[in-house]
Amino acid sequence: MIRAIAAVARREIVIFLRYPGWVIGALVWPALFPLMYLFASRALAGPQGEGMETFTRVAGTANYAGFIVVGTTAWMWLNMTLWSVGTSLRNEQLRGTLESNWLSSSPRFLVMLGIAAAHAMNFIVFLLVGVLEFVLILGVRFNPNPTATLAAVALTVPWVYGLGMAFAALVLLFKEAQAMVFFVRGIFLVFAGISFPVAVLPDWMRGIAGWLPLTHSIEALRLALLENAPLSLLQANLTFLAWAGGALMIAGYVTFQSVDRLTHRTGSVAHH
Amino acid sequence: MSTQPAHAVQLEGLTKRFTARGIDENGGRRRTVRREIIAVDHVDLLIRRGEFFGLLGPNGAGKTTTIRMICTLLEPTAGQVRVWGHDAAKEASAVRRNLGVLLMGERSVYWKLSARENLEYFAALYQVPAATAKARISELLERVGLTARADDLVERYSTGMRQRLALIKAMVHDPPVLLLDEPTTGLDPQAARNIRDLIRHLHSSEGKTIILTTHYMEEADQLCERIGIIDYGKIIALDAPQSLKRVHGERPVLRLDLEDITDGVEPALRAIPGVTRVVVQPKGANGGGYEAIVHLSDLRETLPKAVETVSRAGGRIRHLQLVETTLEDVFIGLTGRTLRD
Repeated sequence: MIRAIAAVARREIVIFLRYPGWVIGALVWPALFPLMYLFASRALAGPQGEGMETFTRVAGTANYAGFIVVGTTAWMWLNMTLWSVGTSLRNEQLRGTLESNWLSSSPRFLVMLGIAAAHAMNFIVFLLVGVLEFVLILGVRFNPNPTATLAAVALTVPWVYGLGMAFAALVLLFKEAQAMVFFVRGIFLVFAGISFPVAVLPDWMRGIAGWLPLTHSIEALRLALLENAPLSLLQANLTFLAWAGGALMIAGYVTFQSVDRLTHRTGSVAHH
Repeated sequence: MSTQPAHAVQLEGLTKRFTARGIDENGGRRRTVRREIIAVDHVDLLIRRGEFFGLLGPNGAGKTTTIRMICTLLEPTAGQVRVWGHDAAKEASAVRRNLGVLLMGERSVYWKLSARENLEYFAALYQVPAATAKARISELLERVGLTARADDLVERYSTGMRQRLALIKAMVHDPPVLLLDEPTTGLDPQAARNIRDLIRHLHSSEGKTIILTTHYMEEADQLCERIGIIDYGKIIALDAPQSLKRVHGERPVLRLDLEDITDGVEPALRAIPGVTRVVVQPKGANGGGYEAIVHLSDLRETLPKAVETVSRAGGRIRHLQLVETTLEDVFIGLTGRTLRD
């Protein structure tokens, strides 16, 4: 089982590395994406940074650059997962290789797990490159609590990839990714406070934000990475993430199996 | 030691119904209607262990649906599929372990990987132990002449090379049964011959059970020990190619190339007992002369009479040819369509 997952992950990484454009994009994108929010923040802070006081009061930190890069990076994690893991099965289908995988004697969900594992490994590299770029190019300061950071990352993984796997199965069923990706990432982009404190949202939007796991991942990561917060301070966020992770992993598995059964019955795996 | 079943593949009452949506314009009003399509209709089929079996049918006849049900990609509406003794509904994984499938041809492999990487990948998915896989991959690459290019990306291969790779990919876990869906489609004659030779070898030397679908009748005729013709979801003929030609084929046909002709030749030929049909037509401006196509009910008795009759009626035979019944004739006779329809 492990060998099959490792084989899929290896295949994904090898193919990724053979597209130089993808690799360059992964190196440039982490530093590029937060810039528009950083410059917007500087503009809004006023010529002497008058707005910083208000920001610090609402956000709980004066490190606005760190605040933004953590938020945007967490959102990019989700965004990249939706695009890569979420469209992986559809891409296999279009390429003609999905059936070759489905015809093997390994359980089909292992292929999905292998794809998720490859993406997770890619993202770790993306993250490390990003942190280097943030520190060296953007001058972002981090004050991390390693244990709390690790816990926040570890509890973000299940919900991100659970959602990604459910997404992959649905994209295979509906044969359309773009509209679904734009809708889901748009919701998270607006509600999860990637570049602003959730506290500035209207009440009804804050209510929705509280139910989004990305909001809790971002909050936990900001506290752990920027404020050296102890685990106890992250407890509420981490508890939510643990539940959300469990629920979305199960949802990912159940959705995948249901779509697999449906396509097995209708034969739509062969329809492009 | 595992026992080997007598039948590599068993289909019992295999049926697949699909629901299709269509537009009904009854009375000028358009509405969406659902209708049921029976793609495969109670097919019973036994394919013996070690047999080379051909499944032929025009497009839309139910051939692909049958294949997909055999290889567990599609669930039957009714009936049962057993591969190497395993029930496809209950033991899908065991079925896949015993079945090597070539579907989608050259597109079934990763073009951004090398041949070796592809084979290593699929060997891992089929849970072939790493050491066994390594030796088997080298042997398979050697067998299809890809060793020298084994580490090149597949995107740099010719179509024939990719097709060879797709074929050995289906064999990487050494399955006893191979299901090959149009393995030579799109290949040049030399590449197609190489693939046919390889498939023939797999059957004769390694005892693999082979199920082949093809659009090339000659290929099926050359390779298959038994052929099933499927049309409208049913197996309408099932026998050895020679028997199919004998039983379902047209009567013998004689083609006479005539240098000269008189008005009496055609009626004289028609008058011979055993001649069922005569067509005489000019051969055209370039060749000159005439061609007579004579359908016979019995070759041995009627042929000498036909030759003698032509001479007696004043015709001069330049060339005489007995046209053999082909599998294509059988197919057209049974389905009313060519294989590519």
